[in-house]
Amino acid sequence: MASPSQGSLLLQKQLKDLCKHPVDGFSAGLLDESNLFEWSVTIIGPPDTLYEGGFFNAIMSFPSNYPNSPPTVKFTSDIWHPNVYPDGKVCISILHPPGDDPNGYELASERWSPVHTVESIVLSIISMLSSPNDESPANVEAAKEWREQRDEFKKKVGRCVRRSQEML
Amino acid sequence: MESEDEIGVMMVEDSNDDDEFYGGGVGGDDDDDSDLDDVIMDYDGFMDHDSDDSDDFSSSHNQLHHHHHHHRSQNYTILNEDEIRQLQEESIAKVSMVLSISRGAAGILLRHYNWSVSKVNDEWFADEQKVRKAVGLLENDIPLPNAKELTCGICFETYPRDRMCAAGCGHPFCFTCWQGYISTSINDGPGCLMLRCPDPSCVAAVGQDMVNKIALHDDKVKHNRYLLRSFVEDNRKMKWCPAPGCDFAVDFIVGGGSYDVTCRCSHSFCWNCVEEAHRPVDCGTVAKWILKNSAESENMNWILANSKPCPKCKRPIEKNQGCMHITCTPPCKFEFCWLCLGAWSEHGERTGGFYACNRYEAAKQEGVYDEAEKRKEMAKNSLERYTHYYERWATNQSSRQRALENLHQMQTVHLEKLSDKQCQPESQLKFIIEAWQQIVECRRVLKWTYAYGYYLPGEELAKKQFFEYLQGEAESGLERLHQCAEKEFQGFLNSEGPSKDFNEFRTKLAGLTSVTKNYFENLVRALENGLSDVYSHAASSGAGSFKNLGSSCGKGRGKKGNTSKSSSSRNLEDSDH
Repeated sequence: MASPSQGSLLLQKQLKDLCKHPVDGFSAGLLDESNLFEWSVTIIGPPDTLYEGGFFNAIMSFPSNYPNSPPTVKFTSDIWHPNVYPDGKVCISILHPPGDDPNGYELASERWSPVHTVESIVLSIISMLSSPNDESPANVEAAKEWREQRDEFKKKVGRCVRRSQEML
Repeated sequence: MESEDEIGVMMVEDSNDDDEFYGGGVGGDDDDDSDLDDVIMDYDGFMDHDSDDSDDFSSSHNQLHHHHHHHRSQNYTILNEDEIRQLQEESIAKVSMVLSISRGAAGILLRHYNWSVSKVNDEWFADEQKVRKAVGLLENDIPLPNAKELTCGICFETYPRDRMCAAGCGHPFCFTCWQGYISTSINDGPGCLMLRCPDPSCVAAVGQDMVNKIALHDDKVKHNRYLLRSFVEDNRKMKWCPAPGCDFAVDFIVGGGSYDVTCRCSHSFCWNCVEEAHRPVDCGTVAKWILKNSAESENMNWILANSKPCPKCKRPIEKNQGCMHITCTPPCKFEFCWLCLGAWSEHGERTGGFYACNRYEAAKQEGVYDEAEKRKEMAKNSLERYTHYYERWATNQSSRQRALENLHQMQTVHLEKLSDKQCQPESQLKFIIEAWQQIVECRRVLKWTYAYGYYLPGEELAKKQFFEYLQGEAESGLERLHQCAEKEFQGFLNSEGPSKDFNEFRTKLAGLTSVTKNYFENLVRALENGLSDVYSHAASSGAGSFKNLGSSCGKGRGKKGNTSKSSSSRNLEDSDH
């Protein structure tokens, strides 16, 4: 087992880096200054997508054995998306522990690896917003709408975007 | 009972007859050959396609009578942990040498191809590039970047080059991060055997050599354990013995021969379906039967609650010894058959022999007294039929269990005591152990023949009768043997001093053991042939052998039985052809 301090040192380092060199498209910080394992992230809806103009808040919770296990990410803003559970939890493959998939090594590049950082995770989420994967949806209703009633889907996303702007 | 010795002698002739009987019959042999060809083809196919569909190799193949070419030589090896490791080491060494690759790489290759050395060789020499890509072995190992200090790709700390480590791809990570990465993977399960470089874009495999270099002691032990388990569990020719708590594995040579395997822990099981050994009944029937038992076991529980009332005095009786002849405790002292609850004195030809009670039809007619009461409980005829077979299956099962205990007690306690009492060296008492071993084995076979009987189509009357006849012969032989080994033995064990009858007992028990062995060999062979002899025999030589079997073994039961037996068989043959 990695020493418990390894995770906090690594998170500390990432926090400092992100403060010094902010990345376009999101902002990140600690939810509570005393706890390095709970982060608050605001993701800006990527341009030229249905989510453009939205400001979506999410909480990233890191396990004590980070970086060997992935964090969970949960939107606190309302968001209508095939890969986000109705309760806000994000479902993307890089957040799945590598042990989940018995023959997973073929997709190693898509699963969790300790090289991932806050930045690489958030960038993956932004990419998920611009191209939903309706093959294995977390929100079945949203996936169905995305496939079959795009207009209705757009309307719902638009409502989420507006609400997120009001919450600012 | 005075005819026992006679029977022992008669059996010698009997077995000769049988050899002719089973060897003859031209018509039947033709059928057999075609079956045999099918099976050989299937085995070949099975061995060639080293794919992952081991589950497909189940019921359909087992329906075939593959036991035709049963070899007496043992076609499997039992291995303990050290022997498994040694075998694994040998495979790794072989591949490492032939392919000129490291042992770590050889291990990765072998695991990928289910530990088949020949498969690794075939694939490697067919397309080395493809194989390397599939398992993550780079052609040339890339060394760590040539710099004094390197940055770890996980913790982003900078360390001197000699504190960094990489798989064949050269992606540098520090020791601590490697340790955490490997440990997490090992604690996640056997997937750690397919570990790759932490860089998501890199496919380089992490082998056991690297794990041994980096991992903590406990993790190394676990990893080693997974590697050993993989060698047995992913290997098409190996399986763990399914007995609880047993750590032996079986290395099985596929192709020809029986599936029955006896582990060093003494558990016998079928290599193909891993249920307990069930020769001569095929895996498909066994699976059906077990499923049926689990589906109806709730019903059976109340029917077969552990006791039965004495048919005469109605006191509840729990059976705690092996044979079916029950004597109620005084003052009742009623002697009856545990299976049909009929009076023991009425056991004879109608029930399949003096010591047998195998016929459902007979039981139905016989059970006049208790039938009314029993019928209330058993509402449906189908359940009744099932109950009949289940009861006999289960009774033989528990009888076998107790016989096993008896055998154990004999080996550990009684033999020594008997040796003292009768002034016989223990080496001269082996016949008793052999008798009990025979009983244990016969109870197992007999048990499964009841599952066989349940699924034997009722329309095939000739087969059914032939089967019940053989089963009855075998069963009555076994009951005589069991009774002698259990009851008569007690007398010699508890006697004051050496008994002059002991040599007689020896002759009798040894005789019964060999007689019973013969009966069961007949039964097993006939079932493995799908009872085809009932036809081939009729085509070639009339009622001869059937009658021979009946007359040579059946002397003890009187002439009347023989004539009825042979005439009935002749009738059947006439109608069939």
